[in-house]
Amino acid sequence: MERKNNPVVQGVISKEEFTQNWLQFLTEFLSGSKGFYILLILSGLIVFISAMFGVNAIYVGYSHVYGIYREIPWGILISGYVFFVVISTGLSIISSIGHVFGVKSLIPIGKRAVYLSIVTLFAGFMVIFFDVENPFRMAIWNALSPNLTSNIWWMGTLYGISLIFMIFEFLLILLSKHRYATIFGFLTLISKVLAISNLGAVFGMLYGRDFWYGPFIPIYLIASAISSGSTAIIFFTYLGYRIRNERLDKSMELALQVVGKLWALSLAILIFIVFWKIITGLVGSEAQRLAIRELMFGKYAPNFWFFEIFLGLITPFFLLFVSKFRNLNQMFAASLLSFIGIFIMRFDMVVIGQIVYHFFEYKVTDFPVILTYKPTLHEIMLIIGACAFCVFSFLIGEKVFKGHHTEIH
Amino acid sequence: MNWKEFFKNLKTEEQGCVPDETRREFLKIGLIITGVAAGGSLLNVVSVVAEGLATSEELSKEYPYKPHYSMVFRVDRCIDCERCVEACRQTNNVPEYGWRTKILERVDTKAVDQQRQFMPILCNHCNNPPCVRACPTQATYKDKQTGIVKMASYKCIGCKSCMSACPYDARYFNEEKRAIDKCDFCWESRLSKGMKNTACAEACPAGVRIFGDLSDPNSEVYKIVHQMGKAVWVLKPETGAKPNVFYTIG
Amino acid sequence: MKRIIILASTLILGLSGFVLSEITEEGVKYQESEEAGGLEIIYTKPVKGVLFSHKLHVKELGLPCESCHTAIFEMEAFKSQRNPDFIMDSLYKGKYCGACHNGQTAFASNTKCATCHVGVKGLERLKKKAQVLEKK
Repeated sequence: MERKNNPVVQGVISKEEFTQNWLQFLTEFLSGSKGFYILLILSGLIVFISAMFGVNAIYVGYSHVYGIYREIPWGILISGYVFFVVISTGLSIISSIGHVFGVKSLIPIGKRAVYLSIVTLFAGFMVIFFDVENPFRMAIWNALSPNLTSNIWWMGTLYGISLIFMIFEFLLILLSKHRYATIFGFLTLISKVLAISNLGAVFGMLYGRDFWYGPFIPIYLIASAISSGSTAIIFFTYLGYRIRNERLDKSMELALQVVGKLWALSLAILIFIVFWKIITGLVGSEAQRLAIRELMFGKYAPNFWFFEIFLGLITPFFLLFVSKFRNLNQMFAASLLSFIGIFIMRFDMVVIGQIVYHFFEYKVTDFPVILTYKPTLHEIMLIIGACAFCVFSFLIGEKVFKGHHTEIH
Repeated sequence: MNWKEFFKNLKTEEQGCVPDETRREFLKIGLIITGVAAGGSLLNVVSVVAEGLATSEELSKEYPYKPHYSMVFRVDRCIDCERCVEACRQTNNVPEYGWRTKILERVDTKAVDQQRQFMPILCNHCNNPPCVRACPTQATYKDKQTGIVKMASYKCIGCKSCMSACPYDARYFNEEKRAIDKCDFCWESRLSKGMKNTACAEACPAGVRIFGDLSDPNSEVYKIVHQMGKAVWVLKPETGAKPNVFYTIG
Repeated sequence: MKRIIILASTLILGLSGFVLSEITEEGVKYQESEEAGGLEIIYTKPVKGVLFSHKLHVKELGLPCESCHTAIFEMEAFKSQRNPDFIMDSLYKGKYCGACHNGQTAFASNTKCATCHVGVKGLERLKKKAQVLEKK
């Protein structure tokens, strides 16, 4: 990530300043504890191993090593992509409340949030790179032959643009050019919100798929974004201070309280909309009923009840209130559980949408009514690799950018 | 093998000696008595047929493509000999792991008498194709003249959105082409070279598949779709994709 | 005379110990059980996957061997399949299955296609069944 943040490229600082900066970064980086470097090497190693799996998958052909197939073309990699970009969007939304809209209490978390937003978006792109069969063609034909009715086109393009905006935003924050950073923060926010609504529409506009079709998923994802963004902020801020062995100052404590409250609110909203999705789905078309029944009472019931509802929604909500938004250990525990829950939520959302066989109502013997999908080692390794990449970049970021401290003006 | 006579036999046995016209009139009356809705909803499945149009010429004006390619399956005749699947593989270089057309086996153990039916499927070349809307790079598109949903393989990025979008499971990823592959009514292999029929329809020994121009009142597909004697249906009409592949019996 | 042949061949079959599953290019044949009354035969020509079931015709419907053998069908399986006139048209003229499947004795040959035509799917399915029986 350092390469991306090279300020010389932007021509905004002189050469001497640049060398000085780099030296500073380097000395900062070398000041870590033993545990820090072990973690760094470990996560780096995992990234490397999973990259090998990715290269192997390209070499052998995706269809031979992935669990996806004709009837279920989208698997855990798509869920992983959704997982990461929704976190990224959430981080942008929450950080922009502070440094774009000027809510002072949220300013302290802003810098780290922007950095992590870049990292998670990048992780999402890495995952999708290994899902799309011809990623290099994508770069060409996305530009030369855009289909403006395609939500995938909008989603991909907007996320691509937002990555550029965010890099500028982060550089300008580093250079303390706050006015310009605000402008880019605002552009990031707009492109991200449009991108996530199109990401939802990628599923919501598929009128051949009853479980996905409708406005539910865009709404669900934007509510989810705030929730996952808060989760990420609490999780990584807590770890950041742990790694740097620092105590939280007053303003940061206050910021995390506000994030916690936002999180609780978004969880309440999520519980509300998930509840009504389930209730309306139970009386809808046969295809949707079958899908929801599979989710609630079928093979996906443990996913749904334990991971999605219990770990992802109820427990964090409960823990937040127990912690009174002050007890950081409890909030951290909530965020850890919530991360697991959120990932399973994404997985279920993607897979359940395809789980009912196309011609289920025709009593076909060639396929069961409910299809099965099992992620393979390659797919799982790529997801683990992307997570490790986030940890790796986070660790470097904490050191290089000195705990992302921001002075409030 | 004289299949023609087989079907002549079949026809005479089924329809007895009632002349076609009388029979049709009779059925129309029947439909009116038993509720016009049944007849109406059957005709509504025809892609763009507007309600209340009386004559066939007016109906055909509503078809947006010329020729408006379409296929009708006389589904009860299918015996799953899979000559169509083989012919398709040979004609269009379809690899072992994929298919452009497939025969599904339906078994209803509660059915009276015959409990098995074979149901051929292929791309429905929908008038409102979900796949075309979803494709980010216009790699799949609806041909403006014929209505065939075609592929521009070189533009395909392999995101598999069209596979997800398709309600009919008509698409697969072809590793050799590095692109999604699907039925194009043999456009590339046959129709564009002047041939009139698809490979599958030509290979069928039982006359299950009838391919033709739905906008031409003299075509066989037109005659089968625009009649009230026998039910004509499409698969999954509730998706609103407006398919151009029809099913009937007889 | 016919009866003697049938009796003799049944005896031979009985003595040979029912090793009767066989998968060849001509088709698949296997015997489900000793009481079935004969083989299950799946023809592959002229189209793949047409089932004749002794179990259904002999055991369940109780037809005696003489109703088909050997006036309509020889004792040897697939013998008729080698004839060039083993096609639907002959059936409509009362030959082969059409002797009974004429709409009077049994359902007509030009109806209920998928009852006898089990297709490629049926062929593959029954091949597997025959393989399992072979191993036993």
